[in-house]
Amino acid sequence: MAKNKNKIKLMKGETGFHYTALVIMILMMLFCVVPLILMLTVSLSSEASLVRGYRFIPEQWSLDAYFFMWAKRATILRAYGLTILITVVGTIISLIMTSMFAYPLSRKDFKPRNVVAFILFFTMLFNGGMVASYMVWTRLFHIKDSILAYLLPGSLMGGMNVLLVRNYFNANIPYSIIEAARLDGAHDWTIYSKIMVPLSKPIMITIGLFSALGYWNNWTAGIYYINNPKLYTIQVYLKKLMDSIQFLKTTDLSNEAVLLASRSLPTESARMAVAIIALIPILAVYPFIQKELIKGMVVGGVKG
Amino acid sequence: MSENKAKSSEFDDILKQQKKLQRKEQLKNDLPLYLMMLPGIIYLICNNYLPMFGILLAFKRINYAMGIFKSPWVGLDNFEYLFKTKDAFTMIRNTIAYNAVWIVMDLAIAVFIALCMNEIAQRKIAKVIQPIICFPSMVSAVILSFLVYAFLSQSYGYLNTVFFKDNPVQWYTTARYWPFILTIVHIWQSAGQSSVIYMASIGGIDKSLYESARIDGANKLEQIRYITLPLLKPMIIMMLLLSIGRIFNSDFGLFYQVPLGNGMLYETTQTIDTFVYRALIINNNVGQSSAASVFQAVIGFILVMISNLLVRKINPENSLF
Repeated sequence: MAKNKNKIKLMKGETGFHYTALVIMILMMLFCVVPLILMLTVSLSSEASLVRGYRFIPEQWSLDAYFFMWAKRATILRAYGLTILITVVGTIISLIMTSMFAYPLSRKDFKPRNVVAFILFFTMLFNGGMVASYMVWTRLFHIKDSILAYLLPGSLMGGMNVLLVRNYFNANIPYSIIEAARLDGAHDWTIYSKIMVPLSKPIMITIGLFSALGYWNNWTAGIYYINNPKLYTIQVYLKKLMDSIQFLKTTDLSNEAVLLASRSLPTESARMAVAIIALIPILAVYPFIQKELIKGMVVGGVKG
Repeated sequence: MSENKAKSSEFDDILKQQKKLQRKEQLKNDLPLYLMMLPGIIYLICNNYLPMFGILLAFKRINYAMGIFKSPWVGLDNFEYLFKTKDAFTMIRNTIAYNAVWIVMDLAIAVFIALCMNEIAQRKIAKVIQPIICFPSMVSAVILSFLVYAFLSQSYGYLNTVFFKDNPVQWYTTARYWPFILTIVHIWQSAGQSSVIYMASIGGIDKSLYESARIDGANKLEQIRYITLPLLKPMIIMMLLLSIGRIFNSDFGLFYQVPLGNGMLYETTQTIDTFVYRALIINNNVGQSSAASVFQAVIGFILVMISNLLVRKINPENSLF
């Protein structure tokens, strides 16, 4: 019975349309997957076979690129560790700050809530621009070349996220629960941590995931604020790797110093291997979190 | 009489005192709420409000030796210099042109994908296709630049070694290819994600509408034309308006990192965001950089206000205010 329910009943003249849609979507899926496959197979090719160009099916498979990276693990593991640290710390702080800000805003008996909501809201309409923000963070707070540069500028607490959490509180947690808790003598901190947060897991997960993704992929902070190679995250490391490839391309290779430098660079396949390594955590968790992410895209997309 | 007055004024005093006490009590009660908001407020001040005053920098000639506060005021000089350069025209043209074309194109593609997905929604494969077409939006611009490099690299790239073997194309140094390359990359990265919203709205349409249309003999295309699209119209208009509010912004990663920051491609890849970065960090030209950045912020604010006012007229729920 259940199987029958899933079967698609098509009328005459509808089959053509149905299968066209199916073919188009399969092509679209391939379009999305193919570049990733090329990157993966290049990373799994032997260096010698790459001389004739990148191929989807390597002439000669090889794990050399990954061994090469293992030899260079000091740099890569440091970058990797730093990225994980920033992602975890950033996401946790961001979630705490966002939900702590949203709770008073959701309390109808909290008088200044309209003023505060406006203060928050105005930041979503207007900003001082990149240069002003850069000047404040570097000249006033001196975060250049510190881990804080990855955490602070930008969206530790975004206005949109606060509003989403507040709306979730308002829509899903009846005020009577809060009132009952207060009658029982519960403090606001208790209400926040024991009632509001546990009851709003879905929105916290969605926001947490997007925030984690943002921190993991954050490379612009690196190019604006970081010069010290020891503070490169995996994304910034990749970016600098790409820069050095370009630098070598535009430089005369007869210059011996440059030639030497080029030898110490990861080889063609190893570059793609580093990119794969940076992508693996996302690939690994994506199947389990895609539903929440897609839900988040709907909610966040409508609100811009 | 006078006794009465005295009594009432006494009474007023008591009332006032009571109110004061109440207010104190209220404040004491609300103290935890204020404390909860404190980190957020501090962050908003540092991250959002201080930079708003930073706009004033655009009207100064910044001299780090003298310090930012002591640097001389120069009025609109920075803006004048900026708009005299050819850069200004190029970056504004590129930012607006890419956005204008992409807003329309994205919309058409997103709705088209949503319609196709809806048609095959009951098949098992749909549960695989949807996450996969949304995946590219999870990829960072740096990794994106590696993906593009694998296809376009001069000596090893897939395109040059397979399709243009005899006369390899200089992708990374020829500006005229980049509008197409960037458009394809943009579709790759955002098409799936932007279709999700429309998929959700189509999923919310009452199925009985289609049933009765089928009984009346409407074919699929007619159903789309007379049921789905009209019902999607409010959503489409709203998304259009919201994206018009962002027409002066561009995806920095896509325009800077995917062309590998190559100077020979300025003509077709320079946008306001890439100019601000280049002028500030690479060329150390704070004046022009801050002028461009303030220009973008102010025009952006005006556009966001206009687009939200229009959205509010159509559907107050989706407006920011």
